[in-house]
Amino acid sequence: MSVVATEQPGTPPGGFLAGVGRRATSGGVASQIVVPVAAVVAALVVGGVLIALDGTNAFSAYREVLRAVFVGKRGLSDTATAATPLILVGLGYSIAYRARVFTIGGEGQYLIGAIAGTAWVTAGGIRTWPGFPLVLTGLIAAALAGAAWSGIAGWLEVRFGANVVISSLMLVYVAGSVLQWAVRTGIRDPASFVPNSRPLLAAQLPRLPGTSTHVGFAIAMVLVPIAAVFMARHRGGFRVVATGFNPNALDANEISKKKIVMLVMVIAGALAGLAGMVETAGSTGRLGAAASVGFGFEAIIVAMVGRLHPIGVAVAALGLAGLTIGFESTQRVLEVPSTLVGVITALIVVFVVIGDALANRGREGR
Amino acid sequence: MDVLLKIATLEAAIRLAIPVALAALGALISERTGVLNLGLEGMMLSGAFAGYMANEATGSPWVGLLAGIVVGCGFGALLALAVVTIRANQVVTGIAFTLLASSGTTYLFQLKYSIGQKPPRVDRLGMPPLVGITLVCVAALWFLFQRTTIGLAMAATGESPEAADALGYRVVRLRWIATTIGGGLAGLGGAALTCGPLGLFIRDVTAGRGWVALALVVFAGWRPGMAVAGAFLFGLCDASQLRLQGTKTDIPYEVFLALPYLVTLAALVLRARASRTPASLAVPFVRGVH
Repeated sequence: MSVVATEQPGTPPGGFLAGVGRRATSGGVASQIVVPVAAVVAALVVGGVLIALDGTNAFSAYREVLRAVFVGKRGLSDTATAATPLILVGLGYSIAYRARVFTIGGEGQYLIGAIAGTAWVTAGGIRTWPGFPLVLTGLIAAALAGAAWSGIAGWLEVRFGANVVISSLMLVYVAGSVLQWAVRTGIRDPASFVPNSRPLLAAQLPRLPGTSTHVGFAIAMVLVPIAAVFMARHRGGFRVVATGFNPNALDANEISKKKIVMLVMVIAGALAGLAGMVETAGSTGRLGAAASVGFGFEAIIVAMVGRLHPIGVAVAALGLAGLTIGFESTQRVLEVPSTLVGVITALIVVFVVIGDALANRGREGR
Repeated sequence: MDVLLKIATLEAAIRLAIPVALAALGALISERTGVLNLGLEGMMLSGAFAGYMANEATGSPWVGLLAGIVVGCGFGALLALAVVTIRANQVVTGIAFTLLASSGTTYLFQLKYSIGQKPPRVDRLGMPPLVGITLVCVAALWFLFQRTTIGLAMAATGESPEAADALGYRVVRLRWIATTIGGGLAGLGGAALTCGPLGLFIRDVTAGRGWVALALVVFAGWRPGMAVAGAFLFGLCDASQLRLQGTKTDIPYEVFLALPYLVTLAALVLRARASRTPASLAVPFVRGVH
């Protein structure tokens, strides 16, 4: 059961990815922009109804969301901070999904990256290094570890044909166990009473000047155009997209489909692993047992709503992060449960998927 | 380890296997007709939530199971609408449905029990009725696919919808029926978890069991009996994980925590190349277009 080749040879890929590469046509542009915007509006309306049902004025709730993000003292900085891991993991997913490799294991790669990076920068003999090389090598270690973890699922797919959707998710749970072990014994801070790593101290990411967010946001924003250029102008990106359109076309041209699957899995894993370390070194300051907060799953939404395009991913991640930050404030001020954000964003992605299929159906006239 | 403890583990294994077995049967029936249900985890979770809520409201675990079936069927019908009728991508739609169920149940649960409030334990069903239900379901599925015309038509729909269509079978309708029943079975599996061994609902209580069930269907080669056997294997790992956590060994207990998922992964890898995959799995059907 291979996820890559679910379309029959000869039939053009329909459904979700049908819009990819059709931006030149007018129908393509419309569905690229109209569908996600309509999905966001529809989801916000449903969210508003849910807020109203709970006995709060929906308009004042959304006004509070906007106020918290744009007027609140740290609103924009907090939004940037919250968007950072989503951008990184989402970029990886968007590249993999372009090749129709539907990995959903970013959360596991994120954890493994955080563990490996933290283990490196808190190891004896290394933790006394000066800041810059310490931070840099920590981030590299995290990206490598994430790439390796993701590579396992990729290898199981190309070698044994094991469905990447399921195997990458199984590895999330395995990574969760690795995290529990790491903070309990593996890299535990001997001075700490609760299971924790040592504090990262010099390995922490510095603030961006003039803001209260960290350098990780800048790293993510630099990777966005790099990913965009890779996908649009580089031979590797072209092969990824070509694989998505017809998995057998490259095989016919003696470029192994398996290599493409491995390539996108490794890229996705490296970015997710990097995200794990950026979050640990930028926000939490040390690794704890509760490090799994679901960025790896939220990033699936970010990738899909962002139309699998790096710039779209950045926009979607900032939007989702803004909603999250805004609703945290709404919970404090108006007692609207902040978990409503999850419902709204999941609805957005459901609407996007269905809207795409409807647009596709309309275009094909059947 | 004395005999009593071994039996206790065996009993726990069966208890933990039942929800996964039911969900696997649900995945199996829709996959046999060509619909890949990656919303399975979400349907299980919604069933678990509905089962807990209904059980808590009425005090009857049977009503809980029923609520799980109803919610699961509803979710299954929605998936059928999205992927069979509207022809949305089955992989992406399924994942989106699971995300929605995860956040939806979390939200509704928080509405009912605000943070810090302790949700009550509910009445639990014993083992015999749950085992009975599971056996009836697996027998029914076996009978459906081996001994009935409609079962054969369903399997044909999963292999070659064009051929089934040419023979006069209603492909879209068969896929709708199978996906709805499959959702119901997954919902029942979820409810069997909260109204059975746990008696509790917590956030993401199914903990990936829906995904495990999907892997087990591959392992089972789309055969109902083998799917239940695979679920028992998972239950055995899950139960020994719970037991071994309490014992003193040199192996860190986190290894046992990961064990059920590692075994599932191994099972998936072992049988992934088997050629029993329904040929038209995850391929949308459009009448008159080949």
